[in-house]
Amino acid sequence: MRTRIRAGDSSAFAELYDTYARAVYNHAFRLAADWSTAEDVMAATFMEAWRLRDKVDPEGGSLRPWLLGIATNTARNQFRSNRRYRAAAEAAAAAELSVPDHADAVADRLDDRQRLATALTALAALRRPEREVIALCLGEGLDYEAAAEALGIPVGTVASRLSRARKKLRKVSGVEESLGKREVARPGRQTRGDHAHAIRPAQEGNR
Amino acid sequence: MNADTSRQNAAEWEEGAQLFDRTTRDLPPGRHQFHKERMMAQIHEAQQAQQAQERPAVPAKAVRRLRLPRPAITLPALAAALAGVVVAGVVTSGGGNGDGGVATGPALTTTVGVATTKGVPQLLDRIALAAAESDHPAVKPGQYIYIESRSADTFIKTVDDKSTLASHALHRRQVWESPDGTKGWLIDAAVNDSSEGETLSLPDEQGNTPEAYLNAPSYAYLAKLTTDPDALLAKIYKETKGAGNSPDQQAFTTIGDLLGESYPPAELYSALFKAAAKIPGVVVVDDAVDAVGRRGVAVARLDETSGQREEWIFDRKTHVFLGERSVQVNKNSGVDALIKPGTVTYTSAIMTRAIVDGIKQTPSQAG
Repeated sequence: MRTRIRAGDSSAFAELYDTYARAVYNHAFRLAADWSTAEDVMAATFMEAWRLRDKVDPEGGSLRPWLLGIATNTARNQFRSNRRYRAAAEAAAAAELSVPDHADAVADRLDDRQRLATALTALAALRRPEREVIALCLGEGLDYEAAAEALGIPVGTVASRLSRARKKLRKVSGVEESLGKREVARPGRQTRGDHAHAIRPAQEGNR
Repeated sequence: MNADTSRQNAAEWEEGAQLFDRTTRDLPPGRHQFHKERMMAQIHEAQQAQQAQERPAVPAKAVRRLRLPRPAITLPALAAALAGVVVAGVVTSGGGNGDGGVATGPALTTTVGVATTKGVPQLLDRIALAAAESDHPAVKPGQYIYIESRSADTFIKTVDDKSTLASHALHRRQVWESPDGTKGWLIDAAVNDSSEGETLSLPDEQGNTPEAYLNAPSYAYLAKLTTDPDALLAKIYKETKGAGNSPDQQAFTTIGDLLGESYPPAELYSALFKAAAKIPGVVVVDDAVDAVGRRGVAVARLDETSGQREEWIFDRKTHVFLGERSVQVNKNSGVDALIKPGTVTYTSAIMTRAIVDGIKQTPSQAG
C-alpha cells in the first residue's frame, strides 16, 4: 500500500479514502467542533495526502496515523487561536442542548445530544496540543507511538500531554468519571480497519 | 504492542474513549461518494497536467499553461443541490480554451434585499395572471425555440489545496432547440470550447437519446404537462424526491429552472406560478436586480443548507419575468466562507424568447 501511494497510484488513493474517510471526518470534528467544517477538513486532508505522497515512508504499517496527522494540521488552520475554538465548541455544545427534538424526543436521542455536548465542552477546556493528543489517542484510539508519528513529536511528549490533559478533564467537569460508570446504551465506537487493537482492553473486543 | 501504552491502564482508557462515543458518525448521505469523486477528479487532473509537462514535444508556452492545473473542480457553495451540480458541470466542462477569457471577472455582489412573507400569494397571483395573458406563438414542426440570455456566476475554484473565488463575467448565452428536443445548438462562452458554439442534438456524444423529463424538458414535454397547479406541484415533488437540499427547495428550484431557459405554453407558465405559491417558505423580496441591471421585485426562497436565496425577478409593474439569480444571504463556514453574504453566485437575465425557422437564426434575422 505504501509503495502504491508513493507511486501516486490513484486506485490506492481510492482505497485509502474508502478506508479512512470516516475516521478522518470524525477526528476533524473533534478538532473543529463543527460537522460541516469537518467535512471540508476531511476533503482537504486527502488532497494534501496526495500532494505529500512521496513523503510517505516506504517502510511501516498502517497509513492511518499519517492521515490523521495531516488532518490535525489541516484542522489547525481552521482556528488561528484557541479562543476561537473554544467559542465554536461551546456554541456547538449549547446548540446540541438547545435544539428541540421533534416527535421522537426519546430519552436516547436526548442522551446522545448531552453526551456530544459533554465531549465538546471537555475538548474546549484543553489547550490545543493537549486536545490534539486527546483526539488522536482517545478519539481515534491511536497508541502513543502512532500519535507521536502523526504529530511528529517524541513519544514521551505524547505521554505527558495526555496525562496532563486527563487531569484537566477530570478537574473541569468530572466528565470522565460520570461517563465511565455509565452503561453503554448501544454500540458506540466502531472498531474497524486497523484500529490499534493492541491497546484495547480485551473485553472491549469488537463491539 | 509496546511499553508506553501499558502506562495507561485499560479502565482509564475505556472511560476516556467513551467520552467521545458520540463524536463518531458517518458522513451525511451521498457525501462520502461526492468527496471521493471530487478527489479522484483532482488526482486525474494533476496526473494529466504532469504527463503534459513531461511530454518533450510540447512547445514551452503550452507547457507553462498546462502546469497551472485548470480549475479541476469548482465547488459552488450549494454543492449538494442539483442547481449547484449543474453550475459545476458547466464550469468544469468550460475548462478548455473557450473558458480562458471568461473566468476572470471579480466576484459579483449585491445588496441583499429585504424578504417578507407578506403579499406572496397576491404577487404570485398577479404574476400568474400576467403570464396567462402573455402571447406564446405556437411552434410548427421544423421550427426552433430560441432563447437568449445574459448570465454570470461566481464560484469557488480549487487548485491543489488552494481555494479562491472566481467568476464568469456577464456574457451572452443563446440556445436553439427543436420542439421535440432532439435538435439544438448552444453558444455560451463559459461553456463552449469554440466560439462557434456546440451542438445539443441527440443522440449525445455517448450515443444516448435521453427522454425529456422535468429537469430537462423539451417544448413538447412541457406542452403535455398538466396545468392544474396542485397536480403539477405533486408531480414536481414526486419526480424530484431525494434531490437537492430539501424537498421544498428542490421544488422551488425546479420551477425556477422551467421559468428560466424554456418557453412553456401560457397555461403552463401561469400554472407554474400558482404551484410555486403553494411551496412553504416562499417570500417576496422588495428589491432585486437582474443580470443586466433591470430592477424589480422578486419571488424567492432561502435554501437553509447553503444559505443562498434563489430569486425570480419580475418587472414591478407588468410582472413580466426578467430573470433569476442566487444570492448568498447567510454566512458560510469552511471553504464556502469565501462566498460572503451579498455575493451573487449565479444570475441570468432573459433577453429574448422567440420561435425561429432555423438553428443559429435570431428573430431579427428572420425579419
